[in-house]
Amino acid sequence: MNNHALKTRREFLRTGLLGGSLSWTLPAFLSRTMQTLHAQADGALIQGVTGRDGNILVVLQLAGGNDGLNTVIPMGNDEYRKARPTLGLTDSSILRIDPQTGLHPSLSGLASAYHDGNLAIVQGVGYPNPNRSHFRSTEIWATGVDSDKSSTSGWIGRYFDNACSGCDASVGIAMASQLPQSFAATTPKGVLYQGGGVAKKKSSKKKGTIARDADTSMMAMDDEEEVGEAGGSIGMLNGPGNLGHLSALDFLERTEMDAKLSQQEISNASSKAKNTVPFPGSRLAQNFAMVSRLIAGGMPTRIYYLSLGGFDTHTQQTDAHSRLLKEMGDAVSAFLADLKAQGNLGRVTLMTFSEFGRRVKENASGGTDHGAAAPLFLAGGGVKAGLLGQMPSLSPNDLFDGDVKYNTDFRSVYATVLEKHLGVKSEPILKKPFPLIRAYG
Amino acid sequence: MLSTLPASDWDRNKAAILLQRAGFGGTPQEVDALAALSPTEAADSLLGPAKFLPPDPPAFLEESSMEEALKAERDKLNSLPDPAKANGKREVAQYLRANQGRQMTELRGWWLKQMAEPARATREKLTLFLHGHFATSFEKVRSPFLLYQQNSLFREKAYGMWSDLVLGVAQDPAMLIYLDGAKSRAEAPNENFARELFELFTLGEGNYTEKDIQESARAFTGWGIGSTSGKKAGLLRGSQPSFKNVPKWHDAGVKTIFGETGNFDGSDVVRLALAQAAAPRWITQKLWRFYAGWPAPEPLLQELVKEWQSLNGQIRPFLMAIWTNPNFYDAVRSADRVKSPTEWLVGLCRQIGRPLPAPVLSSHILNLLGQNLFEPPNVKGWDGGIAWINTASISRRYDYGSWLVEGTQGLQKLSSLNMVKMAAESGLLKMSMPEISPEGMLTTRGPKEMDPAEKQAALEKMKAAVALSPAPVDDITTSEERQSPEKLLASLSTRFLSGETIPADLRTRFQQAAGEKIPYTDAAVRKMILAIVQSPLYQVT
Repeated sequence: MNNHALKTRREFLRTGLLGGSLSWTLPAFLSRTMQTLHAQADGALIQGVTGRDGNILVVLQLAGGNDGLNTVIPMGNDEYRKARPTLGLTDSSILRIDPQTGLHPSLSGLASAYHDGNLAIVQGVGYPNPNRSHFRSTEIWATGVDSDKSSTSGWIGRYFDNACSGCDASVGIAMASQLPQSFAATTPKGVLYQGGGVAKKKSSKKKGTIARDADTSMMAMDDEEEVGEAGGSIGMLNGPGNLGHLSALDFLERTEMDAKLSQQEISNASSKAKNTVPFPGSRLAQNFAMVSRLIAGGMPTRIYYLSLGGFDTHTQQTDAHSRLLKEMGDAVSAFLADLKAQGNLGRVTLMTFSEFGRRVKENASGGTDHGAAAPLFLAGGGVKAGLLGQMPSLSPNDLFDGDVKYNTDFRSVYATVLEKHLGVKSEPILKKPFPLIRAYG
Repeated sequence: MLSTLPASDWDRNKAAILLQRAGFGGTPQEVDALAALSPTEAADSLLGPAKFLPPDPPAFLEESSMEEALKAERDKLNSLPDPAKANGKREVAQYLRANQGRQMTELRGWWLKQMAEPARATREKLTLFLHGHFATSFEKVRSPFLLYQQNSLFREKAYGMWSDLVLGVAQDPAMLIYLDGAKSRAEAPNENFARELFELFTLGEGNYTEKDIQESARAFTGWGIGSTSGKKAGLLRGSQPSFKNVPKWHDAGVKTIFGETGNFDGSDVVRLALAQAAAPRWITQKLWRFYAGWPAPEPLLQELVKEWQSLNGQIRPFLMAIWTNPNFYDAVRSADRVKSPTEWLVGLCRQIGRPLPAPVLSSHILNLLGQNLFEPPNVKGWDGGIAWINTASISRRYDYGSWLVEGTQGLQKLSSLNMVKMAAESGLLKMSMPEISPEGMLTTRGPKEMDPAEKQAALEKMKAAVALSPAPVDDITTSEERQSPEKLLASLSTRFLSGETIPADLRTRFQQAAGEKIPYTDAAVRKMILAIVQSPLYQVT
């Protein structure tokens, strides 16, 4: 199969698949299902949901359980100071955004987004009967079902099933090494992009030589970034555990096909555009830079998914948490600036989430244990800046097992983003109605 | 009780499946030898003697400990004003990381070498299962020695009682660091280990309460690691923290765990957890799934549990039982087990009869295929199965397959690698301990300051060490086979695909690769091997 011939799945399916000229190399799985796919491809052309001007949701997962209480901080609060004698931040260092509330000092990027009118802070986000297991709680956020239920599909996957049934796999792109469970769908969609150090590569790649600049490489020796093959690599998300009737071999055959199809599409889009503002060198910021280029390059992707790990701060939290928040805040701030310069800021909403917040009372190891509700951020041109929901009470009588109680169901946030930003009905996706929050004008 | 496959149903195909799943695959000769035995004899011979013969440890254990030198260095730095102090500490940290990175590379290479030894493969495969099950990462533990020690614990106890393994892990220094047990104290118990012990190691979600976790965390207090003070000098192996039970850290109060009340400690928690009805279901399902590739449905799972209970949770005879069970060879599910990256790499090298790539290259390959040994993504380990496969990983498997089969063609295919980083991780480019001159000036001797000629020589050495020559195909094919496409296809698919019938799609790829010219040259044979290796079917067993 010639890659250059395969511009998009739709085009490929329309022109190649039933034509017969290529079918002799098609994996068995595809030849069994091409009729269905072909029908879906036509449907997508009619629905046209993936137009280049459609709105885009960028999801940023803060993996490990971000300490919400030291991210969005109640100011002048005695309970906070009592619960956090060593970890508590002093009022003078906090970036004040209203009389009672401030942001962690490392979040200056987000504070300016707030003042520019591009950041909404939703407080006290969680769900009933909170689970404190990383995996289970991540699963609850990913599937969007009640904490005593389970689902084989993710909320983003159900969005794909409902609103983008015939789209290319690249309607969702995850810049992550872990497959987001939220992408799991009846018809799996989503492409994995593992770019590696994009900016670094540019500076150190010399054609025809193997040795990279010794000094910069040595400095970066412990850097987590791995040097990927040129141009990064693309991966199809698999809808974990949701294979249905497919055998692993069927799945492999389909994935092989998707690899060939998506590779060119992404490299085309990313090479078309340049970042207009400098991005920090962190992996997260470089991933945001890539997303920004893909948006500028006209990818029809509706959902981008990024993640930053390391928030499970059981011990010696202060420096680690501060570093993580800085990495996040600076990356997001560059991303918003780049989108603004492109003129795409209004089309994009960035939503952060973490599987849970952390225990109100700090532990004896200079850290915090798994908690429950926490704040999350919504950023973008369409977002109505402000503080939404309520800062949960820290008074010991109001806590449940030492954790703050939620006042905004995370699915209200999902429903709002789906309805107000992506323009689809939320009930078929979230399986029941949730009150919307006032995050959009 | 599990039924046993009758000897009359035992054939070459099943022997090949077992060789691949129980270990890392092997040559057609090894398959033939297994096929000549009964199913029970075959499983028994793969498992080898119950008595454990430890392999020689990796060489870095004999290096001298740096604790003393580091402490002296830090003391000196502390007397300096900033920014010299801060810079110095950064340089020391960088030196430490470089040194640990080199030791980790050696450790990974050492383990892969054990896996590639036919007589050790089965125990090493189980060690790999246990590493994923009791996932512990260098990212947090930061001690190559302690990870080696944990790996040795898995290897040594792999064939014994499950309860001994769980208890051993609960007292293992690397685990105590990884899940914060080392820092847990009576006045502030840390729940991390207790939670994962129940959720991931022994019971599974939904089989315990938050209260059970909190009370168990109290019971585990006191189990920590001893400090390194007093053992600073000497060799690395003698200088590391070891398990220590400290009564004054222990919460000696009464706890209620799984409905039982008493003054429990860590051993009691392990005992109580393993007595839960969920415990045998959890471990037997995980073992079945690891080896068979698909989850045991309820009736089979119940039989597995009964078998496990009748064996008192002894692992070696349990593996014998599942490997001789007819369901293990269910033809309908034969394409449902995806090879892990480690299994893929070691297996391919065994099948084509080439040594493993240099440790630094093997580590790189496994990392980019999603299985960086000693650095699982999180405490859940690797998800396995189809989670190994996405279009990034499948393209990479195909690329690396071509490196191993066709060679790296000079260094052309290796152009994306960072040779300086690899040379440092292999110990060819050394950094030396930063030193402080009497004037308070800091000097580090690393690649930056190396003599350019010396550095170039080290890099050349590295390039030579990672370059892969084309696979030696003379031993794989006879001259008779090279005259006949059908014979060659049959011979290669027997070697690489456990003798399954060849799907039409693969036949086409194969014929394309072969070309017209007969007899087939070495290069053509490699292309045909590659057509198999770069196919979906090769990724499953």
